Amino acid sequence: MSAIASEEATLVAVPRARRRLGAAGLRPYLYILPVVASLGFWIYWPLLRTFFLGFYTWNLLPTTPRVWVGLGNYARVVGLQEMGIALRNTLIYVVGMLPLSVALPLGIALLTQNLGARARGVYRALIFMPMLMAPVVVATIWDWMLDPTGGLVDSLLHAVFGLGPVYWLNSQTWAIWVITAIAGWKVVGFAVLIFAAALTGVSREYLEAAAVDGAAAWQRTWHIVVPLILPSILLVVMLTVLLSAQWTFPLINVMTQGGPVNATTNIYFELWQFGFQSYNVGWASAAAVLLFLGFGVIAWGFTALMNRVAYRDS
Amino acid sequence: MSPTGDNPPGLALAPGVPHIVSRRVPAILLAAALFATACGSNAVPAAESVKAAGSGPVTISFADYNLATAGLGADGTNAMIQDFEKANPDIKIDPVGITATEILPKVQAMVVAGNAPDVAQEGFGDLDYVVNDLRAQPLDTIAGAQGLQAALSAMYPPVAKLGQLNGKTYGLPYTLSTPILFYNASLFQQAGLDPTQPPSTWAQVKQDALAIHSKAGASGVYIDCAYYFDWCWQGIVLSNGGRVLSQDRKTLEFGDPPAVQAAAMWQDLVKSGAHPPLSENDAIAAFEGGKLGMLLETSALQASLLTAAAKGGWDLRAAPMPAFPGHPVVPTNSGSALFILSGNPQKQQAAWRFLQFMTSEQAYTIITEQIGYLPLRPDVVADPNYLQPWIAQHPLMQPNLQQLQRLQPWVSFPGPNYVQIKNIELAALQQVVFGGADPAGTLGAAQKRAQALMP
Repeated sequence: MSAIASEEATLVAVPRARRRLGAAGLRPYLYILPVVASLGFWIYWPLLRTFFLGFYTWNLLPTTPRVWVGLGNYARVVGLQEMGIALRNTLIYVVGMLPLSVALPLGIALLTQNLGARARGVYRALIFMPMLMAPVVVATIWDWMLDPTGGLVDSLLHAVFGLGPVYWLNSQTWAIWVITAIAGWKVVGFAVLIFAAALTGVSREYLEAAAVDGAAAWQRTWHIVVPLILPSILLVVMLTVLLSAQWTFPLINVMTQGGPVNATTNIYFELWQFGFQSYNVGWASAAAVLLFLGFGVIAWGFTALMNRVAYRDS
Repeated sequence: MSPTGDNPPGLALAPGVPHIVSRRVPAILLAAALFATACGSNAVPAAESVKAAGSGPVTISFADYNLATAGLGADGTNAMIQDFEKANPDIKIDPVGITATEILPKVQAMVVAGNAPDVAQEGFGDLDYVVNDLRAQPLDTIAGAQGLQAALSAMYPPVAKLGQLNGKTYGLPYTLSTPILFYNASLFQQAGLDPTQPPSTWAQVKQDALAIHSKAGASGVYIDCAYYFDWCWQGIVLSNGGRVLSQDRKTLEFGDPPAVQAAAMWQDLVKSGAHPPLSENDAIAAFEGGKLGMLLETSALQASLLTAAAKGGWDLRAAPMPAFPGHPVVPTNSGSALFILSGNPQKQQAAWRFLQFMTSEQAYTIITEQIGYLPLRPDVVADPNYLQPWIAQHPLMQPNLQQLQRLQPWVSFPGPNYVQIKNIELAALQQVVFGGADPAGTLGAAQKRAQALMP
């Protein structure tokens, strides 16, 4: 019986080996072709085009000639005062967002995990709500609320504390923090969701064992829970570092246009201005390439770090 | 890469990837289709002319920013388009509304996509770019020298030249304003000022503004010339005997003494408390709410200001631009001209008929009454069948009409970096006016940096 089976197997195996070179052999590649082709078309082809366009002066118009300028665009972009300001602001956005995207959501997730299921659901849904609102709508509503003459915020400040009007969005001091706060407020719910998911993965047994050994609640949180969900924390930190500039972009576009005096511009807004307001696709591409390399290095560093942390956990 | 930020952060993690994975087969079809259109885009202009040669009405696509202002601007423009189509059954207008700040980038995107509008309304600040890069067609050729001359000679002489570059006319002047000092006469009275004597110099503006601030409990004056466009800042500089760009269009001058002095005057208004450090939108809202005494602004807002004044029960009036000591006031124009972008002769002729209609007596009656822009033709102003009765009832229009007759053109910066140059200029101005920076140092440094971006 087993001899017959093995003989059958070899009989079948021979033609299959031959067929592998034919249509059936291509089948797995056909399955992944749509994904590979669309990745190539949507991600890698534009990326290559960006590298290519970074060496030209051009405004994308078919009637305007593309002029080769070598590294000229890179020299211009690096030398532009606005780029320096945009980089500094991007850093402020990142640092300002971290407490709102990591510390606060982590606290909320930890504090709400022991609530009853229904209360926890309601509570987290409320916190998640800002995430679901369209950024442009959010920006417009905050714009109204922050109006210095008769807006909700200033009326309250005046009524309760007797404070004079604060020119939130036209102040070089306040504007960037206002944008940071709104962007942070929008992202809290998302981070809570990630941390809550990570917390459900922490085995109760560890905590019970620690409790039996006499560890206090804060000790259990700090020494057991936090290290176990460290990969998730690092993920959110990485998202914040890489995406703060994107999260703030629609708010900047609607509320301040990068002003007053470039006080709220960030690296993406500057890049968008080069490309789509100044019609200078060469500058925009050169800046985008620099950005891609810079953020690429950061992302690589974070991924390496996350892998090490995840390894220790398992 | 388009950092719109509209994606939820989870999806934005690896830009685009989740979208593609979830779409699979449709994505590849779409990609193939897009690739095909991308390859074929060079052939589009040729194909267009064949299609238009068929019989039936010619369709003209029309990109316009008044259509994108809610309410009055859109209603007025649509009414004009309907009137035109009724009078010209062989031409259909396909209107596209785009906001004033977006109309150049959007039209540029349409041109890149091989889908250029046949007629576009573009600002005078973009004239150089619209002519040299978007390839607006010379009206001299389309209308013939005589036809164009007939259209332009109907307009006020200073206006007729606004759409010219290098000796040819590319844009037919359409909707524009001069800088108008709108003021709230009710607040003037509350502050013990005579509302029939609005300030005519900047020194008086400061005095009156401070009086309004201290006695009427409102803000004094706001000069809306520091954001987006520099047309009215150019008017302020011209009124102090300077320019922002030399006559030969080669050298920037917005860091020279006349501009520096003008910026210092404005900075002093802010520092003294006469001028609130508001953003543009907040200032307009404050004026509409009766909480700001004076507003230097385009008359494009006139209709909405009138509505706000009627609603709030206060008295809206207008005065010409204030003067600097020892210099005549030189108003500039805001606004736009109509450009023909189509290369198809049949469409060009249809478009020219449309342009003539949009600058006719009938059209300016609607433009002035419903939107608030200036009537660019003297005949329509004097004609009892058109604007004469309305203007008699609306003295608000008088300062604007007077300034129209002696305006100097709003000049556009040259070269591919012209937007960057304008941005540097306005950022430096904001830095001086609202940030309290040293006027000479800041504007001078900005001029130097921007000069390096000139062609």
